[in-house]
Amino acid sequence: MAEELQEVLAPYPVERRYLLRILQGVQQKMGYISEEALEGVASHLKISPAEVYGVATFYNQFRFIPYGKHHIVACLGTACHAMGGQLILDAFERELDIKAGGITPDHGWSLDRVGCIGCCTKAPVVVINDVIHAKMSPFKVEEVLAGLGLEMRKEKEEEEAGEGESQ
Amino acid sequence: MKGNLNDLQKQAQEKWEELEESSFTIRIGTPTCGRAAGSLDTLQAFQERIKKEGVEAHIIEVGCMGLCFAEPLVIIHNPDSGLPPILYGFITHEKVLRLVEGFILGDDPCLELALGTVEFKEDGTPYIPEMPRFEIEERLVLRNCGYIDPLDIGQYLARGGYLTLQKALKMTPEGIIREVEQARLRGRGGAGFDTARKWKACYQMERGPKYLICNADEGDPGAFMDRVVLESDPHSVIEGMVIAAHALGASQGFIYTRAEYPLVIERLKIALSQAREIGVIGEDILGSGVNFDIELVEGAGAFACGEETAMIASIEGRRGMPRPRPPHPTEYGLNGEPTVVDNVKTFALVTRILQQGGEWFSQIGSPNSTGTAVFALAGRVEQIGLVEVPMGTTLKEVIFEVGGGITNGRTFKAVQIGGPAGGCLPESALDLPVDYDSLKEVGAIMGSGGMVVLDENNCMVETARFFVDFLARECCGKCTMGRLGVKQMLLILEDFVKGEGTEEDLDMLEGLAHDVREGCLCNLGGSAANPVLTTLRYFRDEYEAHVTGKRCPALVCKELITYYILPEKCEKGCDHCVLTCPTEAIATDEKTRKKKILQDKCVKCGTCIDVCPPEYDAVIKVSPPDRVKELEGEAGG
Amino acid sequence: MAEKGYVEITIDGQTVQAQEGEKILWAALDAGIEIPHLCAIREAHPPLGTCRLCFVEVEGEGVVASCVEPVREGMVVHTDGERAKTLRRRAMELLLADHDLECKTCVKEGNCEFLQMAISMKVKKPKNLHPFPREELPVDDSHPLIIFDPNKCIRCGKCVWVCREKAELVPFDFVYKGYDMRLTTFLSRPLGETNCTGCGECVEVCPVAALYFRKA
Ligand SMILES: Cc1cc2nc3c(=O)[nH]c(=O)nc-3n(C[C@H](O)[C@H](O)[C@H](O)COP(=O)(O)O)c2cc1C
Ligand code: FES
Ligand code: FES
Repeated sequence: MAEELQEVLAPYPVERRYLLRILQGVQQKMGYISEEALEGVASHLKISPAEVYGVATFYNQFRFIPYGKHHIVACLGTACHAMGGQLILDAFERELDIKAGGITPDHGWSLDRVGCIGCCTKAPVVVINDVIHAKMSPFKVEEVLAGLGLEMRKEKEEEEAGEGESQ
Repeated sequence: MKGNLNDLQKQAQEKWEELEESSFTIRIGTPTCGRAAGSLDTLQAFQERIKKEGVEAHIIEVGCMGLCFAEPLVIIHNPDSGLPPILYGFITHEKVLRLVEGFILGDDPCLELALGTVEFKEDGTPYIPEMPRFEIEERLVLRNCGYIDPLDIGQYLARGGYLTLQKALKMTPEGIIREVEQARLRGRGGAGFDTARKWKACYQMERGPKYLICNADEGDPGAFMDRVVLESDPHSVIEGMVIAAHALGASQGFIYTRAEYPLVIERLKIALSQAREIGVIGEDILGSGVNFDIELVEGAGAFACGEETAMIASIEGRRGMPRPRPPHPTEYGLNGEPTVVDNVKTFALVTRILQQGGEWFSQIGSPNSTGTAVFALAGRVEQIGLVEVPMGTTLKEVIFEVGGGITNGRTFKAVQIGGPAGGCLPESALDLPVDYDSLKEVGAIMGSGGMVVLDENNCMVETARFFVDFLARECCGKCTMGRLGVKQMLLILEDFVKGEGTEEDLDMLEGLAHDVREGCLCNLGGSAANPVLTTLRYFRDEYEAHVTGKRCPALVCKELITYYILPEKCEKGCDHCVLTCPTEAIATDEKTRKKKILQDKCVKCGTCIDVCPPEYDAVIKVSPPDRVKELEGEAGG
Repeated sequence: MAEKGYVEITIDGQTVQAQEGEKILWAALDAGIEIPHLCAIREAHPPLGTCRLCFVEVEGEGVVASCVEPVREGMVVHTDGERAKTLRRRAMELLLADHDLECKTCVKEGNCEFLQMAISMKVKKPKNLHPFPREELPVDDSHPLIIFDPNKCIRCGKCVWVCREKAELVPFDFVYKGYDMRLTTFLSRPLGETNCTGCGECVEVCPVAALYFRKA
């Protein structure tokens, strides 16, 4: 952890303007920003930890809990909302039994909402593991989730099969 | 690669001509929107097919032509066929084989898949004569979008790129500003501020260093113009920035873009490094002695950072909170130094103005709003996508002629223009010319160009709640009016959509909206009022229905509707709804096999409406919720 | 004509001389003309402009925040314009609606700048606003000298401003945004565990009882 953090911090000179970039780097590397990371960033830039905390919580991008194995972002921008985006988010919340901003207890799934990802022409959209799914419907939510669940199971089976072969 | 621009230009042009005249080219649009439609699969399918067949063809990844509704888009030019390039729409990967066999291996141009041919105007701007929308459109910003490869600076050069910069570098700063003044250019970031005036204020500051910031934050949900321009033609913006930098005497520039736009970031990085390589940014630009470099700054998801003083705070590594003005950024900006912040499209237009002259530009559009306006057309309209029309074109032309009208033959209800802080305009406003002043008159703003069309299935009260919810979340929290005023408006609207509001709340909401508009520290809260005031002004009956009738006429507000299956329409055997209902809220009658919704289990997700076969169309929504009891009584009796 | 470096303006019919660049608010206060204000700090450049209580009307310009707007030669200011008064009232009403008005049990015993301002503006806690979803937060009394009661805070930002002027590393700052924006320490840790020296500058400027000295 500490080493990973140092790797992110090292290239940046001690200048406040790099704060956002560093936080982005931390998140990219570790998936989220931990308390230790916040302190580490503050001491690297020689600014107050309270200020770093203030900046980090201001921006929607920063997360203080890890991502799930599958990370889902539902768009609730104007276009997506007009095309029924709320129903899509509701469906994910219902199927996964978590609220936006949350993560399932087994860390398999995490769910977020976003303002607009600029794909308004394909509304309503969701982004799952960085892949954009266009023109969603509550029904498609189930399909997509089943698809990912299936894939997980398939991966597992393949893994097991692979292990079987090597024995 | 650094060297004489004219030489580079010539080489690029030769290469381009060869490409255009004698090569087999396949252009595939792979902007973010195209990718969402599967254009990367299309790209891969072409690549594989071409390789397999051993055909010699150039596959070029291009940006967005604005015809997003038909994505994935492909333009094929087969010079042997004697035909001009042909634009194909909806080319998902399954259709690739047909195109390859038809038009690449054979001589059948697959006209059933074609949208039209690509022709070029005198100035080289591509257009599709078969599509009537191009008669209305005038593409100054979008000129290259969707035709050139944004990752190849050579293609930009070949189309005259950076020649304007070369010319501008020989002009005096005053000369450049005069040209922009003559064009009467107004900023495309929303407020429509006089660009030349802003530049003058900064130019006259005798302190330095000066900074130039390109506002690519585009936080307005429902707007994606700036994304498309940066993904499709980044150099047109970079060129405009360097011209502006010379005019202002700025030494360092920044492009501040949203973190939600990964492809913009990727493509800008490449574009900037190519620009640096040929010496159009960096030190001693094209031998003129002008130094100016551009740094890319990624936002981190905060709508308020689109406001220029907040953006400056964010670049400095602080909370993106606007600060009161004066002093204006031109006087006290980044690090306290004179700074100009302009929108992406403003810079793209600067390039065109310096290329063709301010006088020419001022002839386009209407007298007080010159030039063109770029809109992102989305929502319930057929031809969703980007539109660029001269200012003063009417809303009707944009929505019905360029946009092809409302989807599924439904009725137009409102157009939400100018982002969350804009306004919702009714049918009676459709003849309004779109320019800064006309829109302001009816209570909306031009904004940065989002245009979301709403139809009878959209509830205006819920729409207002949605915008205010967005602004309450995204408000920086700094001032009383924003933090508490906008929140209070939201609390009232949340009651309305639940049918819990009172007449008194309606007046309170209106009063608050006026006060928040005038009393907020920045324009965010200032225009948070617009969606509320315009919906109150034009759709008051819908508010009344929610408040006094406890009913949602558009059948949207969940707490005010119930789902109902019409027994006379429900076909017996089909179990679509039963099988897909997420909460097992649909029961089957033992005898008739007809379905009935168990209201206490129903979560109102709408799946049953989606899956009920259109030939039955048996599921309906009713409001107020109690209506369902009557219906059940009627059916039972 | 005003002296060099000074301008002459009219506030409520009274001729007032003010240093060039001075904000209307200070020019008025110096001349003994009252304008409500809570967040203003004379030395703050740019000003905070957060409370929205100081609206006045300037002829030819309309409503402006007087702590932000600099004086200009010949400017005619009215502090009692209807629109300005409405906006000031509205801001005060919103602040009151979101405030923990337990003045009886408050250490300042109703004697705080905020309440006095409300009284002088003749604004009461409004009954027709929806209650804000306030969250009761624990009072932090971990510091030997200063007690921090986040429930009283009206987010004027003065404490953060004065602390930044003085301390190299501020022990607290605003976190989150929108309605959720609040003042707190790093990860909301006890103030006593931060580098706060207890200089008390923040206590001096706090217009409510969010930051106050521990009674000896
Ligand atoms: C809340 C808020 C959000 C804004 N968002 C944007 C934006 O996304 N893009 C933009 O160009 N300008 C935005 N603006 C306007 C900028 O403050 C500024 O006016 C603009 O960048 C100036 O550029 P222009 O003169 O080219 O229009 C926003 C303003 C406010 C108050
Ligand atoms: S509103 Fe969802 S992508 Fe724009
Ligand atoms: S005193 Fe002017 S906004 Fe607070």
